[in-house]
Amino acid sequence: MPKRVAIVGIGQTKHEESKGHYIYYESDFEAAKLALEDASLTRGDLDTVIASGWDAIDGRTISDMHTCMAIGGYLKDSSHVGEDGIMALAYAYLRIASGLFDIALVAGHGHREANVDAVTRIVFDPLFARPAGRNYIITMAMQANAYMHKYGVSKEQAAKVVVKNRANGVRNPYAHLDSPVTVEEVLASRPVAYPLKALDCPPESVGGVALILAAEDVARRITDKPVWIRGIGWAIESYEMGSKDLAEIPSLTAAAQRAYQMAGIKRPLDEFDLAEVHEATSFHELMDYEALGFAEAGQGAKLIDEGTTEMGGKLPVNPSGGSLCTNLFGASGLVRAAEAALQLRGDAHGRQVAGAKLALAHGLSAPAGAAAPTNCVAILERG
Amino acid sequence: MARRAAIVGVGLTKCSSHRRDVIYPELVHEAVSAALADANLEAKDIDAVVYGSMDPFDGVFAPERWNVDACVGAGASNKPFMKITTGGTTGGSVALGGYYHVTSGLFDVVLVVASQRVGETLEAQLVLNTAIDPIYERWMGGGAIMVGANQASSHFHYYGTTEEDLAMVAAKNYANALNNPYAHLQRHLTVEDALKMRMISWPLRLSDCCPSSDGACAIILACEKRARKITNTPAWIRGAGQITDNYYIGDRPWFQDWEALSILGRHVYKQAKIGNPLEELDVAELYNAFTIQEIIECEALGFCEPGKGTELLRKGVTSMDGKLPVNPSGGTLCTNPIGATGLVRIAEAALQVMGKADKRQVANAKTALAHVWGAAIGFHVLMILDKEAL
Amino acid sequence: MTQEEEILIMPGAWNLPFRHTAGRFASRFFRELRDNKKIFGVRCPECRRVLLPPRPLCERCLASIDEWVEVGHQGTLEAFTICYVPFLGLPPPPTATIMVKLDGADSCLSHVLSGVDLSDVDKARELVKIGMRVEVVWRDQRKGEISDIEYFRPVA
Repeated sequence: MPKRVAIVGIGQTKHEESKGHYIYYESDFEAAKLALEDASLTRGDLDTVIASGWDAIDGRTISDMHTCMAIGGYLKDSSHVGEDGIMALAYAYLRIASGLFDIALVAGHGHREANVDAVTRIVFDPLFARPAGRNYIITMAMQANAYMHKYGVSKEQAAKVVVKNRANGVRNPYAHLDSPVTVEEVLASRPVAYPLKALDCPPESVGGVALILAAEDVARRITDKPVWIRGIGWAIESYEMGSKDLAEIPSLTAAAQRAYQMAGIKRPLDEFDLAEVHEATSFHELMDYEALGFAEAGQGAKLIDEGTTEMGGKLPVNPSGGSLCTNLFGASGLVRAAEAALQLRGDAHGRQVAGAKLALAHGLSAPAGAAAPTNCVAILERG
Repeated sequence: MARRAAIVGVGLTKCSSHRRDVIYPELVHEAVSAALADANLEAKDIDAVVYGSMDPFDGVFAPERWNVDACVGAGASNKPFMKITTGGTTGGSVALGGYYHVTSGLFDVVLVVASQRVGETLEAQLVLNTAIDPIYERWMGGGAIMVGANQASSHFHYYGTTEEDLAMVAAKNYANALNNPYAHLQRHLTVEDALKMRMISWPLRLSDCCPSSDGACAIILACEKRARKITNTPAWIRGAGQITDNYYIGDRPWFQDWEALSILGRHVYKQAKIGNPLEELDVAELYNAFTIQEIIECEALGFCEPGKGTELLRKGVTSMDGKLPVNPSGGTLCTNPIGATGLVRIAEAALQVMGKADKRQVANAKTALAHVWGAAIGFHVLMILDKEAL
Repeated sequence: MTQEEEILIMPGAWNLPFRHTAGRFASRFFRELRDNKKIFGVRCPECRRVLLPPRPLCERCLASIDEWVEVGHQGTLEAFTICYVPFLGLPPPPTATIMVKLDGADSCLSHVLSGVDLSDVDKARELVKIGMRVEVVWRDQRKGEISDIEYFRPVA
């Protein structure tokens, strides 16, 4: 039987346009110290640390040589996932569930030192895709377009996602973008790649996030508010974008199914009190609703039209403001998990969903955009 | 008690300077198919995939995306897939990742893949330079070779090791590689030949330095119930772990010793219930990117006292017919598909314990140790494999 | 090889621009080199080690650092090698790369040694030894980077 695992410490920096006085791994350091303080633990209590992110984004090969030091990894058993931080959560979960480690710290950061478009361009193979002009945002735009076209979703409907998330971000003291926008402003913003306008896309934020996980028996000694990981699942998709229906996200569907099965979830729209999803773009949040089973295929936009996923609705999605307000490229998924955990502890000041007991956290790890994305879903439950 | 896990299948590719005959997914597929065939399994039997590569070398960043379907069609079937990358220890870290996938209880049969296409890079050192801190140290260039040279230079100074000792390590590994059909460098090299080779960075000559290779490796791990059904010769994981030293090597300038490895060794020996490694290990695959490292690794791993590694060498203890053969495969010195090399060390150790190492088989090998180092000689991984489960 | 068998090789290059934030520690260190010809380490408030190059945290104590300590311009050579092949990014060979523990510091700076004839490896080994004393040679025109220390040379 896998050991039960809980989140016992949460650390998050204020996310900003820049932290000029920091070297990039100081965001990991700040978040790790906040998480340790939150859990009343010290570096000595950690059995393992897992770092996350991409070397080519950090501009340093083996970037974890720096980030592991900044998060307490010195002389410890550490590792690094070349993924969004949500996968560090998944890996730490496995280490603790095995019974071989009791306490793990996972962390991630975002900065603005790289040209994300240039880096994601070189994830594509040099033979076919790169010469055809592919990068992260271009493939996400192609996917948004395919979805829009197949189901007749309008740009206004997608813009409502932005309005919702930006309004939520106003009340989140950690959020990078903390001012509201209107549908008109979204539609009038600078075109990026059809159908995406600038405000349909997440910003580039600087900041750090860290979580401390513990095995069941240890968790109870650390905190009286453990957040249990009741289920977790992840899955990848094919690289060849020409061989699949871009209007769906099968890796997210598969990840959700695994997590739901593990957690015994049958009716996600009814059972969850909130969801923090890692929306790649405004359109993707609607696609995420469908892949997560909140709506039937092609019906995601109904939820935004009916206000179901607003703060006062049946299933608030992204009470934190989501990645449209705060986007650490390489750790946004981990921020979603941190926010979901804060909600379940009743610590999501200003943005609290009252009485939250069960939450879904979703992270996307996709250096090649819609080509071979990895989606991860965690089901969190108040202890 | 953690779930038992074993390696039940191994797949290697022939390594060379540049495998021009294949594109990247084909190279990966070669290793993955070999592992599946070795374990007599099909793609559908794999529950999850763990992938490792050291990214900047291949000309494609995050190559696991392009290669996803070469890994048992993981993309097409939306399998769980995780990328682990930790520099030179990637091959070891990814094996640990697979181990924890199985011991977690969530997955029964896991494919671990590691790959590298150094041949696609014109100047590998340029890439290695990008590992050096751009703020303080990158202006100096250099990288792996200089750190290895520091290890040799200091070991000479403090322990009286000589260039001839290094040449003996080279000759031993090159001779072993001739028995390994997957090795990159396969040539005859005597001690005299080695001592005449060009000096790269004193005291390391060309023969003291590993090549950079194209290659891929795959292993399949399984939980106990499945392992016993899949093969009669599982290689049980008796102990495993990693250690992380800090980035700034200036903080630990005593290159003649390798403390982090000693600390990890004690920890993993304890897990594996090994009291006397020289007696209880039958074979070791050590990450000898530079000849001097094989000597220091023997010392750090407790095969002998610090500074006495050359005695083990000169007495033939670590030769193929010695008490504890080291690197029957020819080691990293003869084959180095960087991000995959660590997994090759583990795969070779597994083949020994499974009795499948053909001409490089150490007779009656029951207990094998595999070692991987990386980063600024600061990351280490160890895995101990055994014919019997602990 | 016929046209059917020809395997193509496609050239490629990564051109990845970055704007690396040096942060306040490296920035102050470099400013002191450039403007004052001073070399600073930083001291961990818990383990009290003086660390070079300066950095915002001590990884052993996981403590924030804020104490600056000036260190000497002479030190001890703790480790070295001499490169005989051209490496991209290094001066043309032969070059001696070294680790030097400056007086007052607990950790070593990575740098290069010059002012010594390294061309004959056997002679060079007589001139460059672990434990020898070395000193800073400053660049006349300094820019605020580590190479403002042009090289180290043996103390006469």
